[in-house]
Amino acid sequence: MKTSTYKIEKSHRSLLMRLFEPPAIGKMSFASKLLSYFILWFWALFVIFPIYWVIITAFKDATTVNQGPFYIPFVDFQPNLNAWRVHLADDPYCNAYAIGRQLLLLIHNSLVFIVSPIFTLEAMEPQICKTYLAFTNSLIIGLVSTALCVSFGSMAAYALARVEYKPKFGNIFIFILLALCTIFTTNYAGIPWYFSTAVGLALFFLLARTLGKKFIRTLHNGDILFWIISQRILPPIVVIIPVYIMFQTVGLLDTHLALIIIYTVANLPIVVWLMHDFFLALPIELEESAQLDGASRFSIFWDIVLPLTRPGLAATTLLTLILNWNEYIFAVFISTSKSQTMPIMVAAKNAGEKGILWWEMCVVIVIMIIPVILMAIILQRFISRGVLLGAIKG
Amino acid sequence: MTSTLGTTVKFEKIAKSFGVVRVLEELSLDISPGEFLVLLGASGSGKTTALRILAGLETASSGRVIIGDNDVTEVLPKYRDVSMVFQSYALYPHKTVGENIGFPLKVRKVSQAEQDKAIREAAAQVQIDQLLDRYPRQLSGGQRQRVALARAMIRRPSVFLMDEPLSNLDAKLRGHMRAELKHMQSELGITTIYVTHDQIEAMTLAHRVAILEKGVLQQLDTPAKIYNDPINLFVAQFIGSPPMNVVHGGLEGTTFKSRSGLVNVPVGGKIDKAILGVRPEDCTIVAPDIAEFKGEIYTIELIGDHTLVTVKAGDDFITVKAPKDFSGKSGSQIGVSFSKERMFVFDKETGARIR
Amino acid sequence: MSNSNYFQPGTSPVGFKRLRSDHLNEWLDRHSRTFFIAPALVLLLAFAIFPTFYSIIFALSRVKFTANGLRFRFVWFDNFFAQFSGNEQAHFLGRLTNISVLGWVFFAAVTAATLYWLYKSFRNGASVVGLIGRFISAAMAISIAFLFSATLLSGNPWGTLMTTLFYVFVGCTVQFFIGTMLALLCSQPISGKNFFRVLFFIPLMITPLGVGYAFKMVLDITKGPLQPLWDAIGLQNWAWSTDAWTARWFVILGDSWQWIPFIFIAMLAALENVSRDQVEAAEVDGASNLMIFQEITWPQIMPVAMTILLIRMVEAFKIVDLPNIMTSGGPGIATESITLHSYFLWRANDMGSSSAVAYLLLILTVVVCASFFNYIVLGQFKKTK
Repeated sequence: MKTSTYKIEKSHRSLLMRLFEPPAIGKMSFASKLLSYFILWFWALFVIFPIYWVIITAFKDATTVNQGPFYIPFVDFQPNLNAWRVHLADDPYCNAYAIGRQLLLLIHNSLVFIVSPIFTLEAMEPQICKTYLAFTNSLIIGLVSTALCVSFGSMAAYALARVEYKPKFGNIFIFILLALCTIFTTNYAGIPWYFSTAVGLALFFLLARTLGKKFIRTLHNGDILFWIISQRILPPIVVIIPVYIMFQTVGLLDTHLALIIIYTVANLPIVVWLMHDFFLALPIELEESAQLDGASRFSIFWDIVLPLTRPGLAATTLLTLILNWNEYIFAVFISTSKSQTMPIMVAAKNAGEKGILWWEMCVVIVIMIIPVILMAIILQRFISRGVLLGAIKG
Repeated sequence: MTSTLGTTVKFEKIAKSFGVVRVLEELSLDISPGEFLVLLGASGSGKTTALRILAGLETASSGRVIIGDNDVTEVLPKYRDVSMVFQSYALYPHKTVGENIGFPLKVRKVSQAEQDKAIREAAAQVQIDQLLDRYPRQLSGGQRQRVALARAMIRRPSVFLMDEPLSNLDAKLRGHMRAELKHMQSELGITTIYVTHDQIEAMTLAHRVAILEKGVLQQLDTPAKIYNDPINLFVAQFIGSPPMNVVHGGLEGTTFKSRSGLVNVPVGGKIDKAILGVRPEDCTIVAPDIAEFKGEIYTIELIGDHTLVTVKAGDDFITVKAPKDFSGKSGSQIGVSFSKERMFVFDKETGARIR
Repeated sequence: MSNSNYFQPGTSPVGFKRLRSDHLNEWLDRHSRTFFIAPALVLLLAFAIFPTFYSIIFALSRVKFTANGLRFRFVWFDNFFAQFSGNEQAHFLGRLTNISVLGWVFFAAVTAATLYWLYKSFRNGASVVGLIGRFISAAMAISIAFLFSATLLSGNPWGTLMTTLFYVFVGCTVQFFIGTMLALLCSQPISGKNFFRVLFFIPLMITPLGVGYAFKMVLDITKGPLQPLWDAIGLQNWAWSTDAWTARWFVILGDSWQWIPFIFIAMLAALENVSRDQVEAAEVDGASNLMIFQEITWPQIMPVAMTILLIRMVEAFKIVDLPNIMTSGGPGIATESITLHSYFLWRANDMGSSSAVAYLLLILTVVVCASFFNYIVLGQFKKTK
């Protein structure tokens, strides 16, 4: 028998070595353990502290904030609910009737949404307690646009994963050309926008049907997917001015619908990107089998595909919801009063004459971040199970 | 209403290519009502593609598919009235066994009561009626297989398609399921097309076997005919376990000559590079001095009811099915003789059988 | 079969023999491919692509609010030229005079290296499209290098472009290193792993606005929690928001607090996805932890890591909330990002210039991110395949 030629000699383990060498495979040495925990706890402190400070500030008042830092409630300072009262009770419109009305409006809006934009969404009453207004606004806008975004996005992602599309290169070119013509004629020749848009669209369909057949070069699913995902690169500031003007033109400024639409569009790339990967990972036999059994594409999607991607769907929904909840720059442009969302309300506390009312602002921030922290804990579970990793790898 | 059980299926010059790769070359098959046809071939032979074209999951590049009296070449899969058992069973993991089996009926908006009745009967047919509330992940491989079968048969299609349905089972269970499948098919009398790479499955199950290689149909016949009268070297070697022995040499008249001996064969001709094929059970171990071929023992494997002796003769290895009490020593000189009527000669260049 | 003759030929009940043909459902099913993709596509075309083109019109016009809506006057590229010359030059690009020797040396070095890279890819026979792409990337690299030498290396005040690049490159680098380090620590066999994971993830989900105000409070010199510290080092009368450099670094601090979790969580998922078998095989072969990381773990997660960095970069270019809240872009314009610049122009009713600045940001983002994607991310993916 031949013995191993290359051997790692195990010498006598000195005390120093015991400090730096792991005692067994899959274990850590004492020194590196110490260092790791030190860094991790330091970072944990760094992460917690700003949140902690915001939360305790929400229970302070003008004096306890302004007279130097106080750190620990009940020890350093006496916490009180003054700031909360300002938001929730002292508001003259903050009574059961107003809040009841608000809830009714919320339900009304959820129903009407289906038939909008024929009936535009009723804006929440401005004569209501501002905090409730912002909260319900944020809630309805966040939920509806998340629902829309996830359903449209996953439908598109599924189609891109399973059906072959071949858009003609020439048709896309025609579309861009006509879009530019429409914009030019509207802005410089003074033709009404609805007229030029209708003519532009009609021309496009006409040309695509006739001329389109002659084009040969096509794009593929991969190109469409890449195009959709790359929309995420687009800085919001580039589109926000035209979008503002567009909404102004059709009278949608400061409505829920406007924010819902723009949030849906802003998050579509993320949803398509994440969901596409989940759909690709599904075994195609399931769908083929259902197809042979006579199910239509819609019922396959609804009955087989969506239930199977439930973890991915849940994670994507949560992520979209959080992004919508936190969104600021679009809201700043589009919602001025009636459809004001929570972030706008936070920012509004900055504009007081007596300087920033930190304690009042912190109450709003706390109301904003509590649900998000809960969602983040759930979302984190999905991520740690590798649910969202696939998209990055692809 | 016409009975759709036992329908004919016809492939008319079906060809399929993916880009420049041709996976099927003008395949024509004529399958009679109630027949159990097995498409046999190695991976990449085009057998699965043929099945998927029949199911409508893939479109043929040219040719026509006819089920019963209808040309279904352009018809969507759901209107072809075929059902399929996939290799992975394709059970819906989020549905119970009952819901899985009833899915084809649910799609057709059959009333719940009628569904339940049909599900119970289909489940009883494959003996899983006590498992209806479980989920597929709670089942063993064999049980999943049965669920897939029940789901395929519940709507009594014109044609059953099976894509290697037994290959995910362990060897023992596979044998058992094979027997059951055969029994069920003859009970139901539904035309069945079955794809496999396992020649034992093909031999045991099929009324007729179609052997495919590189997209070309090699031979279409009953298992016995294919075993006893292979049309070419490929078929001869593909069928049989252990596979047919081949001896390289040349044919002169009715004599086959190789480096380790010569033998008289039942056919004649003059071919420089020929191959002699003999099945292991048609060989016997004899003393070297009276044998046609001489060699030395390479290995001895006791199978149970017989012993496989591999003999190295020249550059060829000849496997002999010997009695179970055979004794010998590795490396010792030995002779092999062949039974006269059971020798096949092939042209090495074309693989064609010399008759 | 004892139980039934259910499956015998000719005994099947009518009901579910064949699919009933239903015209509406049939029509819907046949056009399902369109219905699946149309909503997303229409929304994107109407509210992302169309506005992007519409934005060009704004950028090429002088826009006035009138009684009957907006009035556009076509001014060609005046709005763009304005950002590169005159008063606005200092705002967008920074002051570009009196470039120091160090600046020139750096600029020359980067230019030479870029031109050599361009020459090499030309020699290697890249395709025409590839060459055009490389040419654009090279032009952008040289321009950025010039800006870098003219402002940072010559001690000149920065414009919003340079500030944005600072946030992107410095911010992303810092965040990537710290995030990866934390992920590595958390992938070790330590107890309380799940606690750290959840905790470290939270900042990412908090509204940037809240992060901005929280840091403004925490870093407050007189009332913030660090007041004893400022007192101790004698800075009680100092304000970090009046010094350009500290203001920038504090914006990056807030940004990092928010975004390190992203790098952390994504890298951790990638690290834990590396096959245990390979690591164990290496351990049995006697490799040290460092070697395992260098030879096995890191090369495998490199493509994912670069993708994560790319995603972070794409988002970093859009930075607006933090500088807006923590410093309002000040002192002067020292912490103003391009988005904030454009936003201030919009508030001043200068829609033309606002769009032009936004468009310049779009061009910058697309060129930098596309270059990073093509030459670094794709390169890493090719290496592992």
